[in-house]
Amino acid sequence: MSYDAYLGGEPVIITAALTGGVHGKEANPNIPETPEEIGRAAADAEAAGASVVHLHARKPNGERAFSTERFQAITDEVRARTDDIIVQHSTGGTGAPLEVRRQPLRTDPAPEMASLDMGPLNRYDHLTSENTRGMVDSLHDEMVERGIKPELEVFNDGHLNETHQLLDRRSLADPVYATLIFGSGTLTRPRPRNFLNAIDNLPEGARFNTLAFGRHQLPFAAMGMLFGGHVRVGLEDNVYYRRGELAESNAQLVERVADLASLLGREVATTREAREILGLESQR
Amino acid sequence: MTCPYLDYREASGDDSFETARAYCTVAERFVQPMRADICNDRYDLDHEAHCEIYREHEDGTESSGDDS
Ligand code: SF4
Repeated sequence: MSYDAYLGGEPVIITAALTGGVHGKEANPNIPETPEEIGRAAADAEAAGASVVHLHARKPNGERAFSTERFQAITDEVRARTDDIIVQHSTGGTGAPLEVRRQPLRTDPAPEMASLDMGPLNRYDHLTSENTRGMVDSLHDEMVERGIKPELEVFNDGHLNETHQLLDRRSLADPVYATLIFGSGTLTRPRPRNFLNAIDNLPEGARFNTLAFGRHQLPFAAMGMLFGGHVRVGLEDNVYYRRGELAESNAQLVERVADLASLLGREVATTREAREILGLESQR
Repeated sequence: MTCPYLDYREASGDDSFETARAYCTVAERFVQPMRADICNDRYDLDHEAHCEIYREHEDGTESSGDDS
């Protein structure tokens, strides 16, 4: 993917990360947490231009849930309330063992996509989300068994090496789809030159998605679109609409990048176009 | 064992919720859902090892308790 791809005009896939599992309504009361709230947020995000929803599950008090049953309740609500959106489940889970992190892959139907964290990530002052290669391989293998496309989450440049090494160990279906993540802590520093470096070091033929936290969400979405990539926005990654003003909804953030795409001359991908780009077969 | 400083509250100051949420009585605020798993020693998590607020409180030093 490159500036030529931007000029070539491939539609941009907008992923809406609706809820996450780190912060919740204590950070922004508009974050959807219950299955019904998440289902409604997915429908609104789809109407605003999202073709993929990235889902985490929560308990009624907002705390993280990983069970297949809880993911089933959420995915059922999302599928009932949306027309054709692509469902992507998270397999992230700081401090949760592999058996727990497999659970989101076991819904019926399986999600079309699932996230696959490519390596370690520090949390707070005394905790690391390990994501060992063994864990990455195990989650990947279960995704393949269940026909789920992995979305490779690249937290930093070291994870670009991990991505190349995963391709040495496993054969991934084309196109490889990697989300480049920018922010503080273990993430790649959110600087334009680091973004250019990251896209230069992707595996040949890979497609990329652009994710930056907080106030970096919008400028990095713009860069992602200009360099032929795709974008992820949503309250999981950024609770503000602008400095000092909490976002009203996920749809508000999706709508803004959809408007930006059209200003930049990139069509927003329909769900059908997104499936074509990602090499997915429709389940809906 | 759950952290002794963990409480579940529906309201504090200007914040209120329909369902009681994890509240840290050291930091005097609601904690992030991910941190609540540390407070509850869920999965492979342990408040004595992983929570800087607990550790610094037990050491008698101040903690920023920055949830970032
Ligand atoms: S935030 Fe730390 S100190 Fe506070 S209740 Fe949780 S584990 Fe205990």
